[in-house]
Amino acid sequence: MKKFLLSILAVASVFVAEEASAQIKAGEGQVSIALESNNIYYAPDKRMVDLGLDKPNDRIRGNFGSNDYLKVDYTLGRFSVGVQLDGYLPGLYGYDMYTYQQRNSKLTAFLTKYVQWEDQNWGVRVGDIYDQFGNGLIFRTYEDRNLGFNNSLAGARAYYNFNNMVNVKVLAGMPRLYDVRSKNPVWGADLSLSISDMAGWYDGLISIEGSYVGRYQKGAAELFPSKEEFGTVVAGVDGDVVNMVSGRANFEYKGFSLRGEYVQKLNNDKFSPALSASKGNVVNVDLGYNYKRFSASVTFRRQVNMTAPIELVENGIGGGNTINYIPLITRQHTYSLANLNPYRGTSVHTGGEVGGQIDLYYSLRNPKVRSKYWNFHANFSMFNTIDHKLGNMDMEGRNAWIDFNFDVERQWNKSVKTTLFYSYQRWDEEINHYDAAVAHYCDSHIFVADVTYKINKKHSLRVELQYLNSNDYEGDWLAGTIEYNFAPKFSFYVSDMWNCEAMQDGQYGNGIWNPDTLEYDGNALLHYYQVGATFTHDFLRLQLSYGRNRAGYVCSGGSCRYQPAYTGANLSLTLSF
Amino acid sequence: MFLMLAVMVGVSASAQQLPDVKIENQEGKIVSTKSVVDGTPMIISFWSTTCKPCIMELNAIYSNLDEWLEEADFKVVAVSVDDARSVSRARGMVANWDGYTCLFDKNQDFKRAMNVSLTPHTFIVDGKGNVVYSHSGYTPGSEQELFEKIKKLQ
Repeated sequence: MKKFLLSILAVASVFVAEEASAQIKAGEGQVSIALESNNIYYAPDKRMVDLGLDKPNDRIRGNFGSNDYLKVDYTLGRFSVGVQLDGYLPGLYGYDMYTYQQRNSKLTAFLTKYVQWEDQNWGVRVGDIYDQFGNGLIFRTYEDRNLGFNNSLAGARAYYNFNNMVNVKVLAGMPRLYDVRSKNPVWGADLSLSISDMAGWYDGLISIEGSYVGRYQKGAAELFPSKEEFGTVVAGVDGDVVNMVSGRANFEYKGFSLRGEYVQKLNNDKFSPALSASKGNVVNVDLGYNYKRFSASVTFRRQVNMTAPIELVENGIGGGNTINYIPLITRQHTYSLANLNPYRGTSVHTGGEVGGQIDLYYSLRNPKVRSKYWNFHANFSMFNTIDHKLGNMDMEGRNAWIDFNFDVERQWNKSVKTTLFYSYQRWDEEINHYDAAVAHYCDSHIFVADVTYKINKKHSLRVELQYLNSNDYEGDWLAGTIEYNFAPKFSFYVSDMWNCEAMQDGQYGNGIWNPDTLEYDGNALLHYYQVGATFTHDFLRLQLSYGRNRAGYVCSGGSCRYQPAYTGANLSLTLSF
Repeated sequence: MFLMLAVMVGVSASAQQLPDVKIENQEGKIVSTKSVVDGTPMIISFWSTTCKPCIMELNAIYSNLDEWLEEADFKVVAVSVDDARSVSRARGMVANWDGYTCLFDKNQDFKRAMNVSLTPHTFIVDGKGNVVYSHSGYTPGSEQELFEKIKKLQ
């Protein structure tokens, strides 16, 4: 608590200094600084503790957590140099860094740095590298602070672009694994040929691309040898090096686009304790079409054992232990009830999946009256598991996820805007936990109405109502939000999410299990309330909130992490100048 | 943090230059972020398909665009920070904003170079590529402030 008050004090001093300038000049160059600080004070919540949902004893690092990032860059013309210091003082709960590394130390810090020269047609960077080849299916190093991921490659990268026709890139280094630097080197090369530029055709784009990525782990083959188990041979890792190659082709012409990628893992690679090591592959096809105010996109993807970890380990890998990126491609929802049980992939349990998604957008607008329009959006996605083995059993692929979403947005005039949203979601709850022989399907229908009313130039009100209807899993939910804004500096909100129906659906539901009587003892119908305020002033943004948070999955981009339930106060601060 | 405050106090104001980062344009070609600098002042807005206030802000600017362009000469650059999961969705959504220059920052290189932590984050950049103003977050009506800053650049 003391630390929490201290950070409030620190923030208060920022207000005093808020008149300070937005940029810093240092000689001929310039310095820019950014700070992000996310703090949570975990408060006791008797109701959640009694129900066993909140486990204060699991908070081994105390009741205060703070994930902080300070980034400083210096730029002089084409030259730049920078550092980023990540501090976990101590780290917030629910990030893979702690889940998978079991770090008990209270304070952790990690420093990344780089030096870079960016010329017109070529560039060199030494230090921590963030990059991706193609869609990232073969290689991606990136940072996502919502998830606590950062697998930046400490090494060197160089690229050269010849008249936009040929682009070649090489890189090598050691990836970051949570808060340590892995000893496993990763290296790669990427080549892109623009056929359209070579042919002098500038109305569209035709390009052919290819990548190669390798990783070395000392003693990997010894650690995971081929062996006989229950009369069958379980393949092990065939060497200390794993090699991957990919090929891509892109075509774009007058609003039509087709992009295809195929990645192949050439060596056996162990990816999960449940499966034997094996080669993997992924095929991804994206089709896009835009015509005036209509647009459509279709994605198909099939992947088999394509997770490529930084380090092969016996148990548990965590989302951050990866050198490639196979994102979830279902729609990422923003309304809380549509996000209660997000799809999070099946390949961790079953080795692969096949599926795709379709998105359709249409906008109805009068070009002369810009303040009135209709936007229509429909989306469908479906993923199935692939045929695989569960122990010695042959498992056929089955449906893991379907969702259909439709939303209509209407700007009536300059002051009123409404959004209506409907989502149907169906998922196999069993496969969400482990590779089960029998499916347990759950369905839910989610309805949302969202109205924004602009009272005048500065004041506005937003009201959101949500209802989730379900006959299984946790039953029905209701949710509401009221938000009041004073532009451009202040915003306040209160919200509540209420599980309003008692439900016992097999081993799932919201029933309270009494270990003494061995019977269900009522239902946990909880309110997850939140109250918060945001202050923004130019380069400063401050958000303070208090509330009860449900255990569940937090997704950002194409990955998710598990967030345990907690009640607490959250203070986040971002500063950049 | 206190060290930073010490740094903040007593520094002289100067304009930051737009960094040179190679990202994708609407046609899927790799372009330098410097290529948007062409003498016209601009609003650069970082957004993503999952950021509702970002989309509200871009829609609000779009609604006012005709009136504003009568008073000032400027352009709008919308930078999507959607990754491979939703970049195709972002390409579909930008069809609503005709007249915007749209860039796609799939691995967040431009976002990192501009020190953007949270979206929406909006910058005002003058015709020479100097960043003269930045603001993060959106509340309905705060687009007026952007327009006031743009008018000062005329």
